[in-house]
Amino acid sequence: MDINPQPLLRVENLSKCYSAQKWHRLQSVFAADAAKNKPKEFTALNNVSLQLRRKSTLALVGQSGSGKSTLALCIACLERPTSGSIFFNQQEVTALPEQQLRQIRPRIQLVFQDPARALNPRWSALDLIAEPLVIQNRLTSKKREAKVLQLLDLVALPRTSVSKPAHQFSGGQRQRLALARALALEPKLLLLDEALSALDCSIQAQIANLLLDLQYQLGLTYLFITHDLAMAAHLADQVAVLACGQIVESGSAQKVLQAPQHEATRALLAATPRFAPNSSAPALVNA
Amino acid sequence: MRYLLRRASHALFLLFGVSVLTFLFSALTPGNYFDEMRLNPQISQETVAALRAQSQLDHPLPLRYIHWLGGVAHGNLGFSFAYNSPVGPLLRTRACNTLLLAGTATVLAWLIGLPLGIWSASRMNRAPDKLVSAGTATLLVLPDLVLALGLLILAVRTGWFPTGGLTSTNYNGFSTLQKFRDLTAHMTLPVLALTLSALPNIVRHVRAAIADELQSPFLRAAEAHGIPQRKLLYNYAVRAAANPLISLLGFSIGTLLSGSLLVEVIMSWPGLGPLFLESILARDFYVVIAGVLLSMLFLVAGNLFADILLYLADPRIRTAERSQ
Amino acid sequence: MSTLRKLNSVFLTPRTDHQLSRWLLFVLALHFGILAAGFFAPYDPADQDRDRPYLPPMRMHFLDAQHHFHARPFFYALRLAPGSFDQYEEDVSAPIPLRFFTAGARYHLLGFIPARRHLFGSGASHPTPNNPPPRLYLLGTDAFGRDLLSRFLFGGQISLLAGLLGAAVTLSLGTLVGLTAGFVGGWRDDMLMRLAELFLALPWLYLLFALRAFLPLSVSPVQAFFLVVVVIGVVGWARPARLVRSIVLSVKERDFVRAARGFGASDFYLLHRHLLPETATVLFTQAAILIPQFVLAEMTLSFLGLGVPEPASSWGNLLAALQQYSVLVSYWWMYIPALLMLPFFVGYLGLASALQHRSRPFKMEAGVSQANSELPVAVSKEVAGA
Repeated sequence: MDINPQPLLRVENLSKCYSAQKWHRLQSVFAADAAKNKPKEFTALNNVSLQLRRKSTLALVGQSGSGKSTLALCIACLERPTSGSIFFNQQEVTALPEQQLRQIRPRIQLVFQDPARALNPRWSALDLIAEPLVIQNRLTSKKREAKVLQLLDLVALPRTSVSKPAHQFSGGQRQRLALARALALEPKLLLLDEALSALDCSIQAQIANLLLDLQYQLGLTYLFITHDLAMAAHLADQVAVLACGQIVESGSAQKVLQAPQHEATRALLAATPRFAPNSSAPALVNA
Repeated sequence: MRYLLRRASHALFLLFGVSVLTFLFSALTPGNYFDEMRLNPQISQETVAALRAQSQLDHPLPLRYIHWLGGVAHGNLGFSFAYNSPVGPLLRTRACNTLLLAGTATVLAWLIGLPLGIWSASRMNRAPDKLVSAGTATLLVLPDLVLALGLLILAVRTGWFPTGGLTSTNYNGFSTLQKFRDLTAHMTLPVLALTLSALPNIVRHVRAAIADELQSPFLRAAEAHGIPQRKLLYNYAVRAAANPLISLLGFSIGTLLSGSLLVEVIMSWPGLGPLFLESILARDFYVVIAGVLLSMLFLVAGNLFADILLYLADPRIRTAERSQ
Repeated sequence: MSTLRKLNSVFLTPRTDHQLSRWLLFVLALHFGILAAGFFAPYDPADQDRDRPYLPPMRMHFLDAQHHFHARPFFYALRLAPGSFDQYEEDVSAPIPLRFFTAGARYHLLGFIPARRHLFGSGASHPTPNNPPPRLYLLGTDAFGRDLLSRFLFGGQISLLAGLLGAAVTLSLGTLVGLTAGFVGGWRDDMLMRLAELFLALPWLYLLFALRAFLPLSVSPVQAFFLVVVVIGVVGWARPARLVRSIVLSVKERDFVRAARGFGASDFYLLHRHLLPETATVLFTQAAILIPQFVLAEMTLSFLGLGVPEPASSWGNLLAALQQYSVLVSYWWMYIPALLMLPFFVGYLGLASALQHRSRPFKMEAGVSQANSELPVAVSKEVAGA
C-alpha cells in the first residue's frame, strides 16, 4: 500500500536538558530579584528514540511532566535538543540553520493544546489561517482568501465566519481553526500536542473523527500526544509510552494497551475510566 | 536574611553606579566654577589660578574620582567653591531643614491619607467614596507649581502667614515658645503644599489596595463565617493589603529629600533644593555630586527599608527564600 | 485596512468606549484651541504696550455709567489713576465694545496659513497708524505691557509641544530598548535592565535639572526648546522600557508566537506583527500619563530660568514673574494663567484613567475576571524617581 517504506520521521537518542546558564548563576549574586528568575535545571528527555511510518498515527502517551511536549517542540524544530538527531524524510533537521529550516517547516506542523492561547484573540479567522501563507510568501492575496475558504470547508467551519475575530468562536471551533491553520501549508506530519485535552467530551469525539477523515483525505501522518489512553486507542496504530523523559514501552496499539509490560503503562491504564461495556476501550486492569 | 543581604548589596551597587555616572557627567560638561570667577574683575588671575590648582580640577578624571572616593570614606565630601566651606556641614544643615519640612508633610499625608483611603474603600462607590475620589482627582490635577504659588498668593493677600523663609529676622531674640511658634508659622504653607500634593497618591493607592483585597475570596469566606465588618476591614483586608502599601511607604521615605525641591525654591525655604539649584547654576561641582548622592541614598534607603519591612511582614518572602 | 480593523477591536470595546471618546474629544478640543492660538488670541504675544505695564484685567460691563443697558458687552479703557504710578482706574468716557471675528494683527495659522481674523477684539472700524484701536486686555498685562491672554495661548503652543515631543522621544527610546531587551534576552537584556534601574533610581527632578544646567545655559529660544525636549525625553526612558520588556517577555512565549515561528517567521515579522501591537495599549496609556508630566517639567525648567527664555513665552515663563515679592503683592492677576492650564491636566488625567480601565489584559479564558486593581494615575506629580 505504502509506496515509500522508509519512516517519515526518525528520532534517534534525543536528549534535552535545561540547565542553569553560567551567566545567570553569576548575576544572581548581584541581582536583587534573582529569587524570582532562577532557571530550573533538569532533564526533560533522556535518550528517546522512535520511528513514524507514513500515513500512520503514533500515539505518545505519558503523565504530565513526562516530557511529551518537549519532544513535540524538538521535532517541530522550535527547541534545539541537547544531543541526538531527528531525521525527517531521511534528512537530518537537528542542526540545520534557520534559512534551510524555513524550507522544511511547512512539512511539519504543530497543533497546540489550548487554542485560546495558540490563536491571537484579536485576529480574524482569515488572518489566522492565512498567516502561514503570508509568512511563507505564498500565493497572492486573493488566492490566499480562496485557500482559506477551502480550508474552512475542510474543517467543517461555515464560510461566513471567515471575518469573525477568534475570541468569538467556541472552544471546539477554535481548535478547528487551529487545525485549518496548521493545514494551510500542506504539511506531511502533524504533531498534535494534547490537541483534544482542552475540549469537552463530545467535541473531542467530533474533532477526533475529523482528524481521521483528514488523515484519509490528505494522507497525513500524525504524532498524537496525549495522556488519554482511550483516545489513543481510538486513533492510533502505534503507541509509545513516555515516563520521566524515557520511552519505556512501544509497539502496536493493540499490544501495548491490552498487554502492557511496563508498570508506567499499567498505571496509565489503571487511571483510564471505563466507557461503554462493549467498546474497544481497554478494560480497567485493577478493579 | 540572604534576601536582605542581596538587596543591600544591590543598593550599594546602585550608589556606586550613580556616583560614577554623576562624576563622569559633570566632569564632561563645559564650564566650571572658576570660569565664572575669572570674569570677576575683583579677583586677580593669580588667585583664580591658585584656587583652581588647589581644587585639582585639572587632574585626570579617574584620579579625581578615587581621590574623592577616599575622601568620602573619611567623611569628607569635598569643598564648596561658592560657599567657601566643606560640603559636609553645608549639606547637613540644609538637609535637616528639608527633612523637617518633608518629614512633617509625609507624616501628615499618611496620617490623613491612610484612614481616608481605608474608609473610602469600605464605602466603595457610595457617596463618601465619590466625594473622596473627586477630592483626590482635584488635588492630583493641581501641579506642585500652581499649588505652591497659589498658597503663596493667599499668604500675601491675607497676611495670615509669613511669605517665605525659615524664620523671622529677629528669631534669635525669641523665647523658646516664640521660636517654636515662629517656626511653625513659617512651616505651615510649605508643609501644606507638600501634604496636599502627596495626599491624593496615598489615598488612591490605599483605596485601590484595600478594594482589591475586599474582593478576594478569602475575605468573602471570612464574611460568611460571620466575622464583623470592622474586624474584616482592619484585621483582614488592611493586613493583606500591606504589601503594596509598604512599598508605597518606602517610596514616600525615599523621596523625602528630593520631592520638595520646587516648593522650597518657591517658598524660599533654605533646604537642599535651593542649594542644589544654586550649585548647579554656579557649577559648584562637589556640592552637586554630594547632593545627588545624598538624595539617591535616601531613595535607596527608603526602598531598602520597605524591603526589610516586607520581609518581616510578609511570610511568603521568607518561605520563598527557605525553599531555595 | 485590516490593521485599522484590528486597532478598532483593541480600543472600541463597548464598555469604556464612551468614556474614552469623551475625554479624547475634550483633550483634542483644548489642543485645537492652542493650535489655533493666533485666532483665539487677540494680539501678538510679543507686542509690548509700554504705556500700560501690569494692567489688571478689564471688567466686562453691560450697563454704562448712565445705567443704560447695552446688548453688546463693553469694557472701559484703563488709565493711570491721578497721583498714582501703578494704580489704574476705568475711563468711563472711552468704552470699548467687544466684537467678534474682528480683523487684527497678522498671524500664521498652523505656521503657514496667513490670516487676519481673530475670535474677538475691539474691532474699531478705521484703524490708522496714528490712531490704533484701543486694546482689550482680558487677563491684564505683564511687566512689558504684553497681553497675558495672548501670551498664555501662544505659550501653550511651546509647553504642550515640548510635552508631546518629549513623550514621543521617551516612548520611542523606551520601546526600542524594551523590545531589544525582551526579545534578545541574555546578557544584553541584563545590562539594559541594570541601566534602567540606575536611571529609575535617580531622583527625576534632580536629574532633569542637572542635565539641563550642565549644558550651555544661554542659548536661543529654539535651541533651548529642543534642548529641553531632548533632556526631558532622555530622562524618562526607563519606565516605558521596563513595561515594554515585560510585555515582550510574556508574549514571546505565547503559543501563537510559537506557532508563527513554526511557520518559519523571521524575528522581524514576529516583532512587528505580534509584539508591537501588544505594546500599543501600554504605550497609549503611558503617553497619557507622560505628556502632562513632561509639560510640567518644561514649565518647571522655564520657571526657574533653565528652559525657554524670553522673549518667547511658555507657561513656565509666564509664571516666573511671580517669583518676585512685589508681583505677588500687587499684581495677583499674573497667577490666572496658572488656573487656565488646569483643564489640560484634567483632560489628560481623565484620558489616562479611561485608557487604564480598558487596558486589561485581553484573554479569552472564561474564568474569574481579574480584580480591578487599578494603579492610580499620578498625572501631575513630579515625584522624584517615579
